[in-house]
Amino acid sequence: MEDRHDRWARLLAASGPERAAQPLRICQLCVDTLAVTGAGIAMVTPTGHRGVVCATDDVSATIEDLQLTLGEGPCVDAAVTGTPVLLADLDRSSDVAVERWPAFMEGASGVGVKAVFALPLRVGAINVGVLDLYRDRPGELRADELPAALMAADAAALALLYLNADGADAFTDDHDSRAAYQLQVHQATGMVHVQAGVTIDQAFLMLRARAFAEGRSLAELAADVVARRLRFSMEDQ
Amino acid sequence: MTDPQLPDDPETSAQRREQALADTFVHLADTMVDDYDVADLLDQLVNACVNVLGVTAAGLLLDDQRGNLALVASSSQEMRLLELFQLQNNEGPCLDCVRTGAAVTSSDLDEDRDRWPLFVPAAHDAGFRSVAAVPMRLRDQIIGGLNLFMDVPRAVSTVNRRLAQALADVATIGILQQRSLHRSHVLSEQLQTALTSRIVIEQAKGILAERSNLTMEAAFAALRRYARDHNLKLTDVATAVVTAGLDPTRD
Repeated sequence: MEDRHDRWARLLAASGPERAAQPLRICQLCVDTLAVTGAGIAMVTPTGHRGVVCATDDVSATIEDLQLTLGEGPCVDAAVTGTPVLLADLDRSSDVAVERWPAFMEGASGVGVKAVFALPLRVGAINVGVLDLYRDRPGELRADELPAALMAADAAALALLYLNADGADAFTDDHDSRAAYQLQVHQATGMVHVQAGVTIDQAFLMLRARAFAEGRSLAELAADVVARRLRFSMEDQ
Repeated sequence: MTDPQLPDDPETSAQRREQALADTFVHLADTMVDDYDVADLLDQLVNACVNVLGVTAAGLLLDDQRGNLALVASSSQEMRLLELFQLQNNEGPCLDCVRTGAAVTSSDLDEDRDRWPLFVPAAHDAGFRSVAAVPMRLRDQIIGGLNLFMDVPRAVSTVNRRLAQALADVATIGILQQRSLHRSHVLSEQLQTALTSRIVIEQAKGILAERSNLTMEAAFAALRRYARDHNLKLTDVATAVVTAGLDPTRD
């Protein structure tokens, strides 16, 4: 499994550092490496506004637009609840989905969508958007595809965070991806949020930027913050 | 691996334990009837392990579905550090348990130094001398493991290992939220929710720890108390701390 991490990191690194193009590259990688027909990313701002960031094809764009317009659908639910919504067969999801999203279901089947996988782009309470994958035929994400899809969502969450943060450093390779689940990183994010008086999103990016600048691992730096050996201040912004 | 031995508890402590056990299962059953919070449930579970099984510390690792395990609940800070040590070094009884899908025990870690050359000294430093790990299993899939650590060399009794497995099964069911079992992919969805909840709670702990100069444990206790006092979900309280500036220490 570890080498899949590396493969994603390599693919992302190889695709260049331009921030604005990263979300679309991630979507294209999903189409290239997973058996999905198309992919799109929608953004959620702190004020709750949603917008389409990118889509690999017209149908993906339609799926995004539909949900923005209707205010309902699997991606809306994934963005709001933070839980992935994985619908392997829209024609057979009638019991849950039609009741919940009648207009979306009609619109989606009208453009030939048979399966939708909506993955929230989140780091804890930091909610930046949702990655939507679709298929023109029914079928679950295979056991080896789901990890790749989740890693794509991790990468997309970071890409959007950097995209949202004006003046943040260019998207840096995430060679420290396992740090995402080291709980101290998130405790430190909360502490830096208070110390530096910045938003929680900015606090997370500040920690990462500092780790990158000092050539240390994010986990190491977080441990110093939690042990109160290192403080951030307003000037660090 | 050592063969389990039957415990020789004195009768009164056996009765006390039986009562604690009954209370635990009744409490868990009550929790799961309502619309409950997975992160909170898992936290209650590891603490129940400490109380009921008489172990020093308990922790719960979940498959993050990206090829790694993530620590989602632990009864103590020492436990947390040791679990992270295992994850970082890719070695230890809890990892073996999840990889093989079988319970892994060591009644005296000193005798298993060859097996886990990095883990055993770290466990020693954290004050642990014996360990038992049981898998969290759903049909043919291993979704995580429940790990028990003791500060003395001791074999886990058969009874306790069965109880630990029962508690691990409760955790599995808790994550699945049985009512939606018929939906495909529900396991993946719920695992991700449990992981996200844990991260939100850690972010909120960091905020409270900094704002009110608390330890992480005290910050967690404050979150918990507020959730209970106001009949709210732990994750919702944590989210409000991070996104809406709620201060549970001020009520």
